[in-house]
Amino acid sequence: MSLKSRFGPFGHIGILVLLTIYFMPSSVFGADAGNCLVCHKFPGLSRVGENGEMRLLYVNEEIHNKGVHGSVKCEGCHTDITKIPHDPAKPVDCLVLCHIIEPTSEQKFSHKSVATSLEDSVHSKKDKDGKEKPFSEDMPTCKDCHDDPMFRPLAFVKKVRPGVAEDALGRCRVCHSKEAFIDKFYNHITTRLHKSRSPLNIAEACARCHDDPKLVARHNLSRAAGSYGQTFHGKAANLLDESVPDCLDCHVPKGKSVHQMYKNEDSRATTHKENRGQICNSVDCHPGASKKFSNYQVHAEFDKGKNPVIYWFTTFFIILTGGTLLPLMAILFLDLLRRLFPNASFRRRKEKQ
Amino acid sequence: MKRYPTIKIENGKKYFFRFDLDQRIQHIILAATVIILVLTGMPLKFSETSWAPYLNTFFGGSKMSPMIHKVTGAIMLILFAYHVIRVVSQIVSKQIFPLKKEGKMNIGEVTTILIKQPMIPNLKDAKDIIGLMKYLLYFTTVRPDGDEFTWKEKFDYWAPFWGMFVIGLTGLVIWNKVLATQIIPGELINLCLIAHSDEALLAALFLFIWHWYNVHFSTSVFPMGTVFLTGYLSEELMVEEHYEHYVRVMTKEGLAHEILPPHGGHKPFCDKPLPDKPDSPSTTTAAEQPNDTLQQGGLSS
Repeated sequence: MSLKSRFGPFGHIGILVLLTIYFMPSSVFGADAGNCLVCHKFPGLSRVGENGEMRLLYVNEEIHNKGVHGSVKCEGCHTDITKIPHDPAKPVDCLVLCHIIEPTSEQKFSHKSVATSLEDSVHSKKDKDGKEKPFSEDMPTCKDCHDDPMFRPLAFVKKVRPGVAEDALGRCRVCHSKEAFIDKFYNHITTRLHKSRSPLNIAEACARCHDDPKLVARHNLSRAAGSYGQTFHGKAANLLDESVPDCLDCHVPKGKSVHQMYKNEDSRATTHKENRGQICNSVDCHPGASKKFSNYQVHAEFDKGKNPVIYWFTTFFIILTGGTLLPLMAILFLDLLRRLFPNASFRRRKEKQ
Repeated sequence: MKRYPTIKIENGKKYFFRFDLDQRIQHIILAATVIILVLTGMPLKFSETSWAPYLNTFFGGSKMSPMIHKVTGAIMLILFAYHVIRVVSQIVSKQIFPLKKEGKMNIGEVTTILIKQPMIPNLKDAKDIIGLMKYLLYFTTVRPDGDEFTWKEKFDYWAPFWGMFVIGLTGLVIWNKVLATQIIPGELINLCLIAHSDEALLAALFLFIWHWYNVHFSTSVFPMGTVFLTGYLSEELMVEEHYEHYVRVMTKEGLAHEILPPHGGHKPFCDKPLPDKPDSPSTTTAAEQPNDTLQQGGLSS
């Protein structure tokens, strides 16, 4: 018996409607007040920009709703869009006043306080006297380090999945009954308490600038991310160890936000000569380490000008290795050749003549 | 201590004493520790490569693997200490003490004893290297005769000796960095890391290419040399690598009439007449080199 004979000509449509409703993202009924998903729900939606770069404009609603900005409406950040269809949208300004109320102050929420501490840090666009730094456009803004999971490359199968801990959710359910509320607050709290990125991820984020040869030269920096990779910390990070210190563990003052990093010369900086020892000998790291210990050069480079001792020491070992192995390899190779013609010799030929 | 006969005859074949049981056990421990240390250390040195995480995980990941590395390193250092103590005590008890009893103890005599130790490089080694280069570059068909320990073996001894000292010392510093930096400046840790890993790479390449070629992969011994297990070297290899010593041992054991002619391409043994060898070495035929198939197929002059 076929479906057709059973449901009649409308059977197909009925199933189609049911399937559509079933697969319809839940929030089509809620958060998307501006009806943006009418267009943006299509996975192929994309556009080639003026610089030839293709931009994916697809919004995966499920990912968006589970993300930190899940309860913010599209217009909350894309303030320049007032009509549909809209003109090319401007990049989002993260400092905009949101349409949500921050529950402890009952004020409209904004990331402005982050910008204030960033302006005071080593990554500020302006120097101490308030003057614009040279190449200030290189200084990182919010989106150079942070991204919304929604905009990450489409990879649905991942080795490492942050995931929601079901047992933890169970504890929430003891008192709270509304699932959406539980999800939201669980995410809100855990994304801040968990190390959401592995040391390797952090180092890679910093490396985008701090291992970029042009940028490093322009600002007279060292290739800090590369030299970190040469330390045991960096090597363990490469081997996907999650417990080793990354850039932030040493460069962010304890108890402060990651935006409050300062220059080495700034006395507030953890990496200032006077403070350095206290990072290394923290109880979690190398307790009992002396001040001399912290003089270990984490960012030592193989560079004649910057680190002559390390340069010549390494060069000695390169010469020793080459000087030992190359002659021996040559003898080994000649030995193999000699065994092909054991009785041949130049001298003998001469003798025969 | 067990006596080892200088020549052991099994199934009509002669085998020459090289290493006693103690030395063989030392070598096996050294070989095993080196291999484990290389396998647990290299994933760190080359941590950015694709294979490193797999090898590292195989040894228990970043918690277990360093532990294995440290314990193995400690075993190697204990072995090193044992070896040095044993060698020194043997020289003292067997050579310097009797000298003292005779009342001939002075700096000159002691220096002579030390210089004449079997593993100390000497002028003959330099001559042998030059001779070998002439042979390898087809300037002559005469290969140098080796003494009890050839320059290759001395190299194989002193390279790990220096390596163990450098890698062991720097390894101890890195292991106990908090303690070490109570005294030494932190910048020295950088240098220790460079020395430790670069010297280790050199040692690994040296042993796994040069040493293994000479003792296992060379066409004369392929597929495997057995002297590190049995302690005795076959007559063919003895003739090929240690002819000078071979003739001396055979003469001493009263087997002078059974001395084989030198290996293909050898010059005649000048100091002593060889009764069994009427031909000059240039006419050495393939039949006299039964162990070397490649040479049999080679050009004859």
